[in-house]
Amino acid sequence: MNKSENLIKHIHSLVPKDRKVKIMNVCGSHEHTIAFSGMRSLMPQNLELIPGPGCPVCVCPESDIINAIKLSKRDDVILVTYGDMLRVPTQQGSIRAEGKNFRMITSPFEAIAIAKNHSDKKIIFFSIGFETTTAPTAAILEMGIPDNLYILSSHRLTPAIMEILVKDADIGIDGFIAPGHVSAIVGSNAWNVFSEKYGIPTVVAGFEAENLLLGIVDILRQIKEGIAETTNVYSNVVRPEGNTQAQRIMHKYFEVSNVNWRGIGYIPDSGLELKSEYSARDARKVFELKEVKEEKIPGCICGEVILGKAYPSKCKLFKKACTPQSPTGPCMVSQEGSCNIWYKTN
Amino acid sequence: MKKIEIGHGSGGRLTRDLIEKLFLKYLDSNELKPLEDAAYLRFENPNIAITTDSYVVRPLFFPGGDIGKLAVCGAVNDIAVSGAIPKYLSLSFIIEEGFLIKHLEDVLKSIKMTSEAAGVKIVTGDTKVVERNKCDGLYINTTAVGEIVTPLVIENISDGDAVIVTGTLGDHGTAVAIARNEFDIDASVESDCAALSGLLTPLFDIDGLKWMRDPTRGGVATVLVEVAEKTSLGIEIYEDKIPVRDDVRFISDMLGYDPLYLANEGKAVVITSHEAADEILNKLRLHSLGKNAALIGRITTKHKGVRLRTKIGGERVLDMLEDDMLPRIC
Repeated sequence: MNKSENLIKHIHSLVPKDRKVKIMNVCGSHEHTIAFSGMRSLMPQNLELIPGPGCPVCVCPESDIINAIKLSKRDDVILVTYGDMLRVPTQQGSIRAEGKNFRMITSPFEAIAIAKNHSDKKIIFFSIGFETTTAPTAAILEMGIPDNLYILSSHRLTPAIMEILVKDADIGIDGFIAPGHVSAIVGSNAWNVFSEKYGIPTVVAGFEAENLLLGIVDILRQIKEGIAETTNVYSNVVRPEGNTQAQRIMHKYFEVSNVNWRGIGYIPDSGLELKSEYSARDARKVFELKEVKEEKIPGCICGEVILGKAYPSKCKLFKKACTPQSPTGPCMVSQEGSCNIWYKTN
Repeated sequence: MKKIEIGHGSGGRLTRDLIEKLFLKYLDSNELKPLEDAAYLRFENPNIAITTDSYVVRPLFFPGGDIGKLAVCGAVNDIAVSGAIPKYLSLSFIIEEGFLIKHLEDVLKSIKMTSEAAGVKIVTGDTKVVERNKCDGLYINTTAVGEIVTPLVIENISDGDAVIVTGTLGDHGTAVAIARNEFDIDASVESDCAALSGLLTPLFDIDGLKWMRDPTRGGVATVLVEVAEKTSLGIEIYEDKIPVRDDVRFISDMLGYDPLYLANEGKAVVITSHEAADEILNKLRLHSLGKNAALIGRITTKHKGVRLRTKIGGERVLDMLEDDMLPRIC
C-alpha cells in the first residue's frame, strides 16, 4: 500500500460516523490539487472538502476593474497587471475587451522595466491578490520605483475573510486547510486565532496531494480528540513566524482598510491600501478614482461559491452560458477560480 | 534576390525564377520536374487514403523543427495513423512579401530532408505571395496520399481494448509555447516533430491493431474524448502510466498546462485488442521514436466518457477543453 492509500484509509477510520464534516480550503492551488487528483472521490460520504475564497481575481471588486479599464483608455497611461485580471468580466466588459493601453505582466519587476522604457507615459500597476502578491509589490516600493509608476492596490487579507466564514453559521466549517503560499509570508502563527478563539482545527498544508491528505488526517484527529490546534504539515516551507522581512516591508508601505470583496460586500480591515505618506504613488489618489457601484451578474452565484455556500455545479450558468472561453462570472476566469477548476474536472 | 517580392507570386518570370532556382534545387522528384499543371501518379494498390492540412505555426522555427518539417510530418502522420503507407505529397506556399529567401531556403531544406526520410515524394506545388502584414511570414498547405494496407475504423474499438501512446506527451506544445518568448522562462524544450510512418507501418500486419490517431491540437485527452463520444464506450486512463518528459512536466506545471491536452507532432495513440497490446508495445519500443511507448488505459463499458484514475487512486473526468490553450501550434 502506498502512502496516499494509507492516509486515505486513515481518513476513513478517523471521520466521525454520526455527522457531516466540512473542511474548507482557502487557496486556489489547494482546490486545484484536490480537483485534479480526484481527491473528493476518495473521501468518506460525510466528509466534504469545500473550496473557499482562494482566488484573488474572483474577489477583486468590479469598481477597481472598471477604473482600470477607464485608466487604460487615457493616452498618457499604460495599465499593467497579471494575466488573469485582464479577462475578468464586469458590467462594462473586461480590461482585455474594453481597455486600450494595457500589458500583461507576470511579476511587479516587469512593471519597473515598462516604466523605464516608457518614460513619457504613466504606468499604473493594478496590483491585486492576497499576501503572496502584496509582498513582491512592497519589495519594488522598497527598491525604489520610477517616478512614472503608480500602484492601484486591490490587495486582500486572507485571515480577515476566514473570520467572516467562521462566523457564518450557514457554512458550518469544522476545519481549515490554511493556504501554503500565504502562510509562507504570514507564518503559521497567523492562524492561531481560528483554533484558539473559534475552536476550529486549522492545518497549514502544501500543494502535493499527499501533503493535503496529511493535513486532512490531522484535522480529523483533532476533531476526534475534541481539540482545536493550529498545526503545520508544510514545515519545510512555512515557519511559525513566517517571512518577517516581507511582513516588515508590507507594513511599511501598506495599511489595512475597509474594502469591498466582489459578490460578498464590505469587510472591515480586510484589504490593504498604500499609506498616506506614499500618496504620490497611489493611483487611487493621483487619478482621483471614484467608486463604481457593483452590479450583480444575473444568474451568477460566484459570491456563494467563494464563501463555500454552493458548489459551482449548482449555478445555472455553469458549463452553459459560463465557460472558461467566455466567462460570465469571475470564478470561471482564473485557473485558481473554483468554477474554472470544476469545469475541467467534473 | 534576398527577399520575396509580390512578383514572385505573379505566375510570370519571377515566379519561374523562384521555382527553378530555389524550389527545384531541393524538390526534384520526376513527377514534379515537368512543372505541368498536374502530376501523374502511379499506385500499386487501388485503395488510396488522402488527407489535407494547413500549417500556420508561430514561430516558424522552433527547437526540434520548423514549419516545413511540421507540414511534411503532419501529412505523413495523418496517412500513417490511417493504416496507409504515405506515397505522395503536394506543397502549397502562401508567403508574405518581404519574407527572407534565406528562411524559405531553410524551410525547403527541412522539407527535403524530412520527406526523403519518410519515403514520400513531393509531386506538385503552388506559390502565392500576399502583401506585407497580410500573413505571418509563411503558411503551408499540404495534401498527402498513401496506399491503404489495413483500414482502421473507429468501429473496430471494443470493451477491454488497450490504449497505448507511442511516447512522451506534450513536447511540441511546450516547445512552441517556450519558443514564443511570451513567458519569462529561460529554457529550451525540443519539439517531438517527426514522421511516424517508419514507426507505425510495422504494426499494420499485427492482428488486433484497431485504430490510431496522431494527437496534435488538443492533445491525447481530446482524441480520447472523441473516441468515447463516437463509440459510446468509456475509457479509463491511469495517470501514473502517462509518459511525460521531466522538462515538459516542470514547465507545464509552471504555466498551468496539462500535458494531456498539449499538442504532439511525433506521437500516436494506438488502440489495440487486449491480446495484441504486448506485441504492439514491444514492436514500438524497438524503434527510436517509440522507446517510451506505454499502455496508459483501457476501453471499458463500466462508464461512458473518459475518466482519469489519479496517482492517489482518485478519479476525475477528462473532457474536451473549450478554450484553446495555445493557438497556432501547428
